[in-house]
Amino acid sequence: MNPPITQDELMLFLDGELDPESHERVRRALEDDTELARELSIFRAMKGQFHELSFDAGDRRGSVWDRVDRKLTRPVAWVLLTGGVLAWLLYGTYLFATGPSDAWEKLATGAVVIGVLLLLGSVIAERYRASLTDPYRDVHR
Amino acid sequence: MQPDVERELIRKCKAGDQRFYEPLVRAYEPSGLRLALSMMGNRDDAQDALQDAFVKAFHALDRFDLKRSFGPWFFQILRNQCRDMLRSRKARFDREALDERLETRPAGQETDPERRRQKQAAQETLWEALGTVGEDHREVLVLKELQGFRYHEIAEILDIPEGTVASRLFHARKALHGTLLEMGVTYP
Repeated sequence: MNPPITQDELMLFLDGELDPESHERVRRALEDDTELARELSIFRAMKGQFHELSFDAGDRRGSVWDRVDRKLTRPVAWVLLTGGVLAWLLYGTYLFATGPSDAWEKLATGAVVIGVLLLLGSVIAERYRASLTDPYRDVHR
Repeated sequence: MQPDVERELIRKCKAGDQRFYEPLVRAYEPSGLRLALSMMGNRDDAQDALQDAFVKAFHALDRFDLKRSFGPWFFQILRNQCRDMLRSRKARFDREALDERLETRPAGQETDPERRRQKQAAQETLWEALGTVGEDHREVLVLKELQGFRYHEIAEILDIPEGTVASRLFHARKALHGTLLEMGVTYP
């Protein structure tokens, strides 16, 4: 006597994943077992319905490639920009500090630069804190 | 896409040439969008997930084994990305949003308007049922029935043993059938 058909074998049969020998065994079992055959016919009907179903995969925002490309490229650009600006700043600071200007000129210029940087930093920090609690942060513009 | 062409593109990407990633993105975008849409339930989240998955996949290409196929490997990343987003945003599978975007394949084949209306209604019911069967059931059904993956590919994407796929599919189909029965759908 053949062993009963398992749930897994029924799925493998339905999806055409059984080897020929097992496929034949399940097919024979289905001829004798009306309940099993009924269960299979239900799954087949559902499978048929899926087959007629499709998404409208059209994209109203265009291909994602442009955005993927931006995400891949921008970090590199930021690293280059930040690195370049830092190098120029350090070099400029060095030239200025070792230059022939008077001490009061250096101190005044330094104060202006530090003041601007502090203001810029505080604005960026404020915007960052606000963005964390922004209820519209996930809304696309 | 031909496997050897795909392999060559990945090899170039691994070497750091980002330009060769575009054909891969364009080739896997439609099926990726279908998978993401069926998991996220709305197009905007699906596209965000898809985009982030492509970026993650590019950065992970160094670890990609060229003997494998890109598709299942990428869909595994995409599936994880969708799951992460669902968890972080506490998004819900939005059946209504899905229904809005339903498109039936046999449009044009069915000439009788009444038959076409019945078919459309049956498909909308199927979507609604799919939205209520749970994430695990839904994803295995989508991978099998909508994406047409073989069991070994589904196992790779879901990161489960191949032997578990049949069992998971059985329970998913049973759950879907139960839901459809509750919705008044009968099968011969």
